[in-house]
Amino acid sequence: MPRSAELRWIRADLRARRGQAGLTVLAVAGIVTALIVAATLLEGGTNPWRGLFERGHGAHIWIHSKDVPDVSALRGLPGVTDVAGPYRSAPATLATGGRRVPITLRETPAAFTSVARPLPREGRWLDPRAPDGVVVERSFARALGLRPGSPFTVTGLNGATHRLTVAGLAESGDQGFYPEWTPGLAWTLGQTLDVVEPAPGRTEAVTGLRLADPADTDLVVQRAVFTLRNQVQRVTTWREVRASMELDDRLLGLLLALFGVAGLVAAALALANAAGGRVLTQLRDIATLKSLGFTRGQVVRMLLAEHGTLGLLGIALGVLAARLVTAYAMGETVAVPLSAGPLAAIVAGTALAVLVAVLVPAWRGGRVPPLPAAPAAPPRGRLSRLARVALLVRLPPALVLGARDAFTRRTPAALTACGVALPMMLITIGLGCWATLDDFGRHPESVGQAAALSIRPGDMTAEEARQRVMADPDVVAAYPGAELDALVPWQTRTVRTRALGLSSDPYPFPVVEGRMFADRGEAVAGQGLLDLLGVRVGDRVRMTIGGTPLIVRIVGRVIEPEQDGEVLSFGLDSLAAKDALPPGFYALVLRPGADAAQVRARLQEQGLEVTRAVNPAERLAVVRVIIVALVVVLALIGLANLLTASALGLRDHVLDLAVLKAMGLTPRQVTATLVTAAGLPAAVGVVAGAAAGAFWSRALIDLEGRGSGVGAGIGRAPTPGMLAAALLIAIGAASLVALIPARRAARARVPVTAR
Amino acid sequence: MSDTPVVRVVNLVKIYQTGGLPVPAVRGVDLTVEAGEFVAITGPSGSGKSTLVHMIGGLDTRSSGEIWLEGRRADTLSESGWAVLRREQIGFVFQFFNLVGNMTVADNVELPALLGGASPRHARERREYLLGELGLADRADAAPAQLSGGEQQRVALARALANQPRLLLADEPTGNLDSRNTRDVLRLLGRVHRQGQTIVLVTHDARVASMADRVVSLLDGQIVDDGAIPRVRRRPAGGAGDVVELRS
Ligand SMILES: Nc1ncnc2c1ncn2[C@@H]1O[C@H](COP(=O)(O)OP(=O)(O)OP(=O)(O)O)[C@@H](O)[C@H]1O
Ligand SMILES: [Mg+2]
Repeated sequence: MPRSAELRWIRADLRARRGQAGLTVLAVAGIVTALIVAATLLEGGTNPWRGLFERGHGAHIWIHSKDVPDVSALRGLPGVTDVAGPYRSAPATLATGGRRVPITLRETPAAFTSVARPLPREGRWLDPRAPDGVVVERSFARALGLRPGSPFTVTGLNGATHRLTVAGLAESGDQGFYPEWTPGLAWTLGQTLDVVEPAPGRTEAVTGLRLADPADTDLVVQRAVFTLRNQVQRVTTWREVRASMELDDRLLGLLLALFGVAGLVAAALALANAAGGRVLTQLRDIATLKSLGFTRGQVVRMLLAEHGTLGLLGIALGVLAARLVTAYAMGETVAVPLSAGPLAAIVAGTALAVLVAVLVPAWRGGRVPPLPAAPAAPPRGRLSRLARVALLVRLPPALVLGARDAFTRRTPAALTACGVALPMMLITIGLGCWATLDDFGRHPESVGQAAALSIRPGDMTAEEARQRVMADPDVVAAYPGAELDALVPWQTRTVRTRALGLSSDPYPFPVVEGRMFADRGEAVAGQGLLDLLGVRVGDRVRMTIGGTPLIVRIVGRVIEPEQDGEVLSFGLDSLAAKDALPPGFYALVLRPGADAAQVRARLQEQGLEVTRAVNPAERLAVVRVIIVALVVVLALIGLANLLTASALGLRDHVLDLAVLKAMGLTPRQVTATLVTAAGLPAAVGVVAGAAAGAFWSRALIDLEGRGSGVGAGIGRAPTPGMLAAALLIAIGAASLVALIPARRAARARVPVTAR
Repeated sequence: MSDTPVVRVVNLVKIYQTGGLPVPAVRGVDLTVEAGEFVAITGPSGSGKSTLVHMIGGLDTRSSGEIWLEGRRADTLSESGWAVLRREQIGFVFQFFNLVGNMTVADNVELPALLGGASPRHARERREYLLGELGLADRADAAPAQLSGGEQQRVALARALANQPRLLLADEPTGNLDSRNTRDVLRLLGRVHRQGQTIVLVTHDARVASMADRVVSLLDGQIVDDGAIPRVRRRPAGGAGDVVELRS
């Protein structure tokens, strides 16, 4: 098949519209970049292990042995590239603020090692001149409220107590997060360890092995255990560490998928508009090509190749830009590039969107009949009666003419409106997500977090603890609670049950369906639990808690951001006394406006173990970055669509301009006419898109909420202020974009055509 | 030249459906064009001239009747069958030149050769030759919009001749030109005809029609007159030196 004719045409066309082609490539590249950066951030946020492990050059296998193992034998094992340690390590008990927590002290050199290097985050690293300074693993320090400079004491196995200080905090891909991974870890100098644990027989040696291929882990573990014979006490691998760090957040995943789809739609829209607009201006040329002997297939192939190549180029550029952005601009937050799976999904998804978007205009181009059409219709110099009347009653003529134009040429006007409405709708949905997140943050009680803090009594009795917290001026209420796992018939795993408050005085759960429990044997559940058990509000559920059977009736559904919504909540009095007393914790509702961090610090000083509720909005913070990026890209696409549309409109207008000027309109009035003609459908599109977005965003977010188990009822429409600002900005930007080509056209000399 | 006619149409009919109303544009035309013939089709506006040549070139489908090109039945061809036939055997010249706007003059003329499977080098040589013959060698890199109407039509003619078609179809090629440019284009048509090119030309203009060997008059989609023009009435040919080999 003679391809060279097609290539010649593609080359000529691309050369004739370099600017537009460049914009198309940039739009697609922008979307791909935004998607990849978002996915990278998400991956890093929900699974920090990869980044930590990569940066710290972690060891895949840790071998705990009684004595120092044969390092050269371990190093010689096939698949092992490097060895960390062996380091001595000793158990101890940490005491701070009246609490006693087990801790592991691990010897580490003051100079950084090449393998299994902890990553200092705050404060200083170990210093031989200050041997009582230790570096504490960050998640552990946070849980205990330790900061750089905080003093604490440790008690060794021999019962002797030593005062140490926190020199700094560090993270490591070799140590899981506390409390999923216990005991907590502190890195110390060898001399410090000698002081705490002088008996050599009570320390163990830990040795890290870094592998060439993580898939070899099991094999190397076997070989290492065999090589070291009976010395090995226990082995941990990177898989357990990773599991302790992974955050499984379905809502986040779903929201991101929503934005991914929005991004793909946007990419498709950008391309469809560019390709479609181009093909529309080329119908005459395409007819000529067909009269020369181009077949329909050739035309379709040619258009597909041209516009598809632009799209693919945009994807390639986007992948490259995303690599650069994550490596340089966000080098601090992003340690490792996106893994292959999501990257491939994004690339394949956009490629598919590109193909679909280009297929329609290409097919349309292929259907053009080969008949030679006369050039654009001659000017129609007559005004409608309506317009003449309007001129007579002295309405601004530009407005009348522009409006007449917008409504007489319906198809282009509809295209303009759609090209603006779709991005606007997606932007509005994005704003709805933003409003939802804001609402999470502003009204934590509406997502089940009326209690900002919860305390565990620790060493004291429950009653004592309750009295201490109620003494605090900022604590309004303390609901006794217990969290227990329940066995449900037909389920292989347990579900989380939460007894909180009493049936007569229930914790303020956000009930969105049914009612709050008000009696023993009544419960409320999250959407996730209802889905898991296949039950509805009103059904009875039978379960076993701590060996005691319990039958509850689910009387309501609550918004449940924890455990993917798979939580059942009821009053403490529904539990058997042995499980209910004493309560395991108290959920503290604070005075409105109280600073949770301050209250927490005060309570910690009283020797209480205080945890702060993590608001879903914090975990979903990455979504905000994505919303901003997508809004920017979508806005650009909307404006690009408008630019294409107004360029198309102007092409048809060249001859009308002569008439307008002949009628005595000044250049300014001509400009105003053209801006009205392009701006009116755009404004209609903006308003329609915003309305559709505002209408849909709530339902869509609720759908996401339902799918994630949190449950419907979280969705918020964008606030009126947000919506108004978005509308104003969009319409303003649209008018500006319409103004540029209109001014140029109004200034240009009216072409004198022979046709 | 063989005995098979280049074009033979039998009882050709074209009926447009506009808003459910049948509009007969061509009503049973029989026409045979022998190799090397120069046929002018005239008739008042709306008599179906364009429709007839469009059907002969496969740009439009027939309602009924037969079209034979070079002794082969063509009216039953598919759309792409027609396309392939056109690129190899038929050259078109239109009233509005119909050059591809975003391609240079050179690209416009090379396109049919490339489409026909010629190598880029061969296409270039052929283009250089044709543009040279038509006096447009120095405009090869210009965009069509930079040319005058006459120049554009000459480029269109070069493009139509690029693949040495058996049949040249021209629909009012001078309809949009002033008299000087009309003369130039007609002189070129006469030149290629003398080299044996078969031409079917649609025109309103009796003076243009007088150049042809034979004038076919259409009225309301039917042939009302078909007659050879006596040799003496033909436009006096230029001197022998005027003959230029346009077919390489
Ligand atoms: N696409 C079409 N749809 C409907 N009717 C058509 C179409 N094309 C042509 N016609 C009608 O068919 C008839 C013949 O048209 P055609 O263009 O062949 O005439 P013509 O002889 O070439 O006229 P002109 O000298 O004005 O070019 C006319 O009545 C015209 O209105
Ligand atoms: Mg005609």
